[in-house]
Amino acid sequence: MDQRTTTKKPRRGIKQFFAEGGIDIPFFAILIAIIVIGLVMLFSATYVYAYYYEDDSAYYFKRQLLWVAVGIAAMIAVSHIDIERFKNLFALAGTGASWLFLGVALLMPAYHGTHRYVYLPGGLQFQPSDVAKFALILTLAAILSTFHNVIVSKKPLQGNLARKVNDLVNKPVLNDSLKIIIPCGAIIVIYAGLVAAGSHLSGTILIFLIGIILLFLGEVRGKWFAIGGVGGVAGLVLLYQTGVLKGYMEERITAWLDKDYEPLGARWQVNQALYAIGSGGLMGKGLGQSTLKHLYVSEPQNDMIFSIVVEELGFIGAALILILFALLIWRGVVIGINNPSRYKALVAMGVVFQLGVQVVLNILVATDSIPNTGISLPFFSYGGTAYVITLVEMGFVLGISRSSKLRRQK
Amino acid sequence: MKNGEMKSTSKTGVRGVIVMILVAVIAFGACIIRIGYLTLVKGDVYREKAEAQQLSDTTVSAARGTVYDANMKVLAQSASVWMVYINPSKVTEKNRSDVITVLSDTLALDAAELSRKIDNNASYGYLKIKGEVEFNERKALEDLIAEKKLRDVIFVDPDTKRYYPNGSLASTILGFTGTDGNGLYGIEYLYDDALTGTNGRIVTAKDGVQFELDNAYEISYEAEQGLSLVLTLDEEIQTILENALQTALVDNAAKNVYGIVMNPKTGAILAVANLPDYDSNDPYKVLYPQLTEYFKEYGTDAEKADPVAAARIEQWKNKSVADFYYPGSVFKVFVVAGAMEEGVIDENTTYYCGGTTTVGSRSIKDYNPTGHGNETPRTLLVNSCNTFAVNVGLKMGVDLYFKYFQAFGFSERTGVDLAGESTPAVNVTYHDPAVSFSTSDLASASFGQSISVTPLQIVTAISAIGNGGKLMQPYVVGKTVDAQGNTVSVTQPTVKRQVVSASTAATVASWMEDVVTEGTGKNAFVSGYHVAGKTGTSEKLGASNDAYIASFAGFAPRSDPEISVVIVIDDPKGANYSGGIIAAPVAGEVIEKTLSYLGVEPAYTEGEMAVMSAAMPDFTGKSVEEANSLLQDYDYTVRVVGEGSTVVAQMPEAGRKTPVNGVLVLYTQTDYEKEMTTVPDFTGLTVSQANRLAVGNNLNIRVSGSASSESTVVAYKQDYEVGQQVESGSVITVSFRTTTGIHD
Repeated sequence: MDQRTTTKKPRRGIKQFFAEGGIDIPFFAILIAIIVIGLVMLFSATYVYAYYYEDDSAYYFKRQLLWVAVGIAAMIAVSHIDIERFKNLFALAGTGASWLFLGVALLMPAYHGTHRYVYLPGGLQFQPSDVAKFALILTLAAILSTFHNVIVSKKPLQGNLARKVNDLVNKPVLNDSLKIIIPCGAIIVIYAGLVAAGSHLSGTILIFLIGIILLFLGEVRGKWFAIGGVGGVAGLVLLYQTGVLKGYMEERITAWLDKDYEPLGARWQVNQALYAIGSGGLMGKGLGQSTLKHLYVSEPQNDMIFSIVVEELGFIGAALILILFALLIWRGVVIGINNPSRYKALVAMGVVFQLGVQVVLNILVATDSIPNTGISLPFFSYGGTAYVITLVEMGFVLGISRSSKLRRQK
Repeated sequence: MKNGEMKSTSKTGVRGVIVMILVAVIAFGACIIRIGYLTLVKGDVYREKAEAQQLSDTTVSAARGTVYDANMKVLAQSASVWMVYINPSKVTEKNRSDVITVLSDTLALDAAELSRKIDNNASYGYLKIKGEVEFNERKALEDLIAEKKLRDVIFVDPDTKRYYPNGSLASTILGFTGTDGNGLYGIEYLYDDALTGTNGRIVTAKDGVQFELDNAYEISYEAEQGLSLVLTLDEEIQTILENALQTALVDNAAKNVYGIVMNPKTGAILAVANLPDYDSNDPYKVLYPQLTEYFKEYGTDAEKADPVAAARIEQWKNKSVADFYYPGSVFKVFVVAGAMEEGVIDENTTYYCGGTTTVGSRSIKDYNPTGHGNETPRTLLVNSCNTFAVNVGLKMGVDLYFKYFQAFGFSERTGVDLAGESTPAVNVTYHDPAVSFSTSDLASASFGQSISVTPLQIVTAISAIGNGGKLMQPYVVGKTVDAQGNTVSVTQPTVKRQVVSASTAATVASWMEDVVTEGTGKNAFVSGYHVAGKTGTSEKLGASNDAYIASFAGFAPRSDPEISVVIVIDDPKGANYSGGIIAAPVAGEVIEKTLSYLGVEPAYTEGEMAVMSAAMPDFTGKSVEEANSLLQDYDYTVRVVGEGSTVVAQMPEAGRKTPVNGVLVLYTQTDYEKEMTTVPDFTGLTVSQANRLAVGNNLNIRVSGSASSESTVVAYKQDYEVGQQVESGSVITVSFRTTTGIHD
């Protein structure tokens, strides 16, 4: 038990499920700053589009505001939970629910040829992959913290085959850690497989990256990443050869490689995003002054919102927003590594890294640096349930911050 | 340390920092560098591309100028209309019913038909729904488009339409415009540049679905409206001419009739008509089915294959300036004038006409086989004597004949500003004086038979006789005005040359008046207007037998002419084909009505006074006694109907032109019953006989055509049928003409 809990009375009854202590103010402040900027930019980017298609300039803004309110309430609520108490429940329930919903999504009507959404009665819809990303973090964090000793164990793996391999290289190459690494790998592949089955490329990539980051944070040895990487590349090549990745992906790759490809079709959106970013220059055109949001950048409320942000706020504004995100990640990492609980550390870092990876992928797409995969920008892009889930994740980090040894370290 | 707990310096912490550096520093840094590259390095390129797609450069069509007649009545005008089209590929299940309802409701289109059209074009981006949509329809449509959010499905583009308010009136002069608004024929074609104006441009910012942004900057270059033309044509005179020609076309079953009315002092054309013609509003419709029938029967193989196409081209032609014909005896005027001017003949030159003359081996006959006896140049014209004309022509010789042929303008274009004027050509329309002008040719040419001219050349040349020998350049555009009504240019009358002296012209003109009062032109006689003219009948050589061209050219009043007229009837199929019988009355009618319209005071001779008409005074409201005392001054035969003491109605009604010795019926009771009478047959009666018959039947006649008291001038047409019941006192228009002694 850490210092703090040993100096206090053991908590009894319902209270034992609640975290105590203050939240980390810097993390909270940075978060609120990003949320506010995101909301302002959503309104600016969408009012023309919303007026044209929905007859209400504030259509997206108002809905987003409502979701933010719900999300912040949820965030504050969950920040009071002592998540360690529920880590097995979160892992099992999260994984179960994710796999179920991912499966259900496959049976749902297609959206743009993909099966990313689960439609609920009452017109609600959500992407189970958003849940899955979080569930994967919780699941891997639970496994990796619970079986940390096994992960770091150098005990040779038992069994005939393993012994023969170890004897062959005269080193205990195959050790006990595989007992955890292989199930974790399997879990990641199942998650990714289910997301990929819904033709959700960016979701799949994100799942893999989250999995790899968590395994890495969980102190899985470097060689397994090398081996896994080789295996992954081999698997990709195989998949590409069999044609499974063709079609949907192929055009996006072509559109990325050939800058003159279908300027009014496949490349329209990304070209318009480039025009918007380029038009921004150093200082931007000023808030509200984008011209490319006048129905040039299609669906400016979604993946390409960052291009309008650059057009209006310029390079300086974009850089400042990225720095805010970086600060949020930094603060999340500080919260994580200063928490005595390995589980909480893994969850906190897993969450902020997921956020960071998502930001990077979104910006790389908007700047035509990688093929258009369809990934939203957290806190900026329009989307109710995804936003709420992100805020719940932030709530977890805030909850974790209550038990991190931050102030006392000064 | 228990499993699940760790130190902040543990491996997890280190790895956390590593990942943080990877994500938040390296990856984010890469993103920032990439954004920096796009904004700072490539910014200009992308900004330019963005601006290029954001600017919409719209051409604003300049309004086409209006064409007015001399009194600023509109002959051709452009109006703004709109064209509606849709993008069928944007029609979805959701908006489909809206699209169909909006279009069918505002444009009065059939919904089922629309639905079918949309289905058939579902994969296309463009489907024209309706053109020439008027302002109100467009307004309603645009409101609905906005309301139903169909801006990316239904589009409304500005368009213009050319209107010709008078339909076929002067259509062969005005021409028409094509679908893109450019002039294809006539004035519209000839003055296309002036009428078109300069298109403007509007450069605006637009959004991603091509709609203009309100708040964005806009540069516009004003469209400059085309110039408007004020023609010398007078809608009234044009109507008079066309009505007269229409009657002539039908009465004579002619192939074509042409007519021109000109101001002989200026060359300004007051009216030009060619029938059959067409409606400028719908130029592709063949208005006269006989044209199609003609090409079916007589056309070339190509024309037979598509007679409608040939008929269209035919009806569009302004034949008054495009087609050549043998002028026949009308041409004698110019031969006599030239010979007089050169002293080859004088007023007293005598010639004996025996009915034939021999030129080389060729015998030339007069219409009158016994000949005209002793003649002077005056009677040459009055009798339209061929043999004397040949004699004069041969005396002149080739050089002098051709000198005046040229001087009167027959070897060149008149230079009129009408589209499609043909150029006379040596050895095509006339003989080459240097090479092939044989004596026989000269003989034929002396009475207008082997040389071809256009109706416009004839009326221009005859105008020179009326205009003291000065040949004017004809023109039809009097002035051009800009959109603000400022006059841009005014056409000044151009004297081309003095062809003959004023005295020669005056002499010939007086003989031409004699042609009308006592010679072959009697049927063009109009009381009080001193018509001077010359008839012509020519054979169409090369055509099938018995094809003639009857014509009359002249001017009035003789001493100070206000108008000159040419009437040409091509290939009349009736019993009469002589210019004096069929063309002269048409000219007479046109001259009478035109001069009356122009307010030219008639100068009556005593004989004319007897049969003249005057406006009927108003007797209504007056007591019977009062009326009677007033009537002392008049020569009317008065009938009073009813027992009342006050006149309540009269027939003819006040103001109606009535013969001064005609019948007047006065009603004195309001509950009177109209007194009726039967229309008798006036055919074959002289003017005075007809007048007596009319009075006897309680009717009045209005004399149309020649009002000469000569016994050969008899009625041949009346506007009410024989046996018809009409009110007593009605005015019957009876047309008179003579058929004797007027063959040329």
